[in-house]
Amino acid sequence: MSNLAKLTSIDRRWIFLLIGLGTLIPVLLPIGFPVRVTAPVKQIFDKIETFGPNDVIVLSYDYGPTTGAENDPMTDAILRHCFSHDIKVIALALYPLGGLTSLTASIDRIAAEYPNLQYGVDYVNLGYKDGGQATMKLLAEDFSGAFPNDTHGTPLSELPLMQRVKGARNAQLAISVATGIFGEWWANLINAQYGLPVAVGCTAVSAPKYYAYLEAGQMIGLIGGLKGASEYEQLVKDNYPATREAYANPMLQTASKGMDVQTIDHLIIIAFIVIGNIAYFADRRAKRA
Amino acid sequence: MNGMELFGTWVAALLTLCLMSFLYKDNPLFRFAEALFAGVSLGYYIGITMDQTLRPNLFEPLRDSGITLETGHLLFAGLVGLNLYTRYIPKIAWFARSSLAIYVGYYVGINMVQKLQGEVLPQAAATMVDLTGGGSPTAALNALVVFIGVLTVLMYFFFSVEHKGLFGKASRVGIWFLMLGFGAAFGYTVMGRISLLIGRINFLVIQWVGGTLQALGIGG
Repeated sequence: MSNLAKLTSIDRRWIFLLIGLGTLIPVLLPIGFPVRVTAPVKQIFDKIETFGPNDVIVLSYDYGPTTGAENDPMTDAILRHCFSHDIKVIALALYPLGGLTSLTASIDRIAAEYPNLQYGVDYVNLGYKDGGQATMKLLAEDFSGAFPNDTHGTPLSELPLMQRVKGARNAQLAISVATGIFGEWWANLINAQYGLPVAVGCTAVSAPKYYAYLEAGQMIGLIGGLKGASEYEQLVKDNYPATREAYANPMLQTASKGMDVQTIDHLIIIAFIVIGNIAYFADRRAKRA
Repeated sequence: MNGMELFGTWVAALLTLCLMSFLYKDNPLFRFAEALFAGVSLGYYIGITMDQTLRPNLFEPLRDSGITLETGHLLFAGLVGLNLYTRYIPKIAWFARSSLAIYVGYYVGINMVQKLQGEVLPQAAATMVDLTGGGSPTAALNALVVFIGVLTVLMYFFFSVEHKGLFGKASRVGIWFLMLGFGAAFGYTVMGRISLLIGRINFLVIQWVGGTLQALGIGG
């Protein structure tokens, strides 16, 4: 067996080790590759920029800890954008495994960066509700039908922000940061039946199918995977310099740092695909000869 | 990071390492962490549904208002839900089917409209594009690609005609479009999986190692 042919039967644990090192080294020593912003992400940012202080965004945490590495940077960046631009946020969770945990951890952490924000006036945390589409249909008409109280047990009627927004249909935009099918439901139920503009931040695995909704005009924009999250972070940092301090924290997991790893790991994978193919064809030629 | 947080971080870090040990080979530590995750997830789901949905939306309104005309629908929904568990009593197991029928009927009703109005019609309309691109050459090219792609992929999935001759060639073009789609999906999947690895490595480096060093007063 030639040296090249041996590569086709390499122990896959060597590949795992290389990918592990390709991940660990850029985490320890960030490179800072430039991030190029694409249109689907910019469309969401631009839409929020058109809003004023009386406008309201519904931000739905439709993901759990298993995809937090991709989805957390999206929700963090969207919240920083909304709070920096003085947009009101109604946050809720429709995903059972961690939706509420992600929501509460994220909104408390980001709101702490903006000491002037008032809970109940500038933002509300409605918590988690089971039921999927049924809950969605209900909250589109009337939040209090689905969420009688916020996550702290306060009746919605006592929260100033909720007094002026009856249902999600009365908001200006809904953003679902989602794993799996939840984002689709926001597009094909809330957008289709109530005409509310919808944007989705999805995991990379789901991104290809969401492009169909984007192309059909059922969503105003799409944040696809960690790459999309890094683009949104870039837009927030470029347009709101005060947020750069938060993003400079070395203890913070950001999508921009993650894209260094993505670049290195993709190069390793591409190299293995090329080497594997060369070895395969060389081996085949040798056998024929 | 206080003592309890550090303890939680250590538990999470050790479980992460247990799961990652599968990359070397299958082992009991991986099996333990996997089973624990499945069990904790289910327990969390039950707990959070009780606390965030059943308590505020069913138990508290019934407790506060009693059974009235306004809360009657809640009692009905609660009984329909409870009825699902009669399947565990063999003599009346058949009774659970009525709840299942209501449940299935409700979601079929929601989905039928949702799929047609929100998916089939707008997605079909999006493929019926102006081939001139409204005067823009790039839009025209994009429209042409969409037109050829949709047509040839549909031909590939049309099995009432034998795939040979012109029809066969067109369906071969459809395969190319499908392969491009699968390629894009695979690329995104790789990115997604690496993102998950980044999340875990970040956790191990920043929160576990960094947090422990910080707690010990070593480093910044």
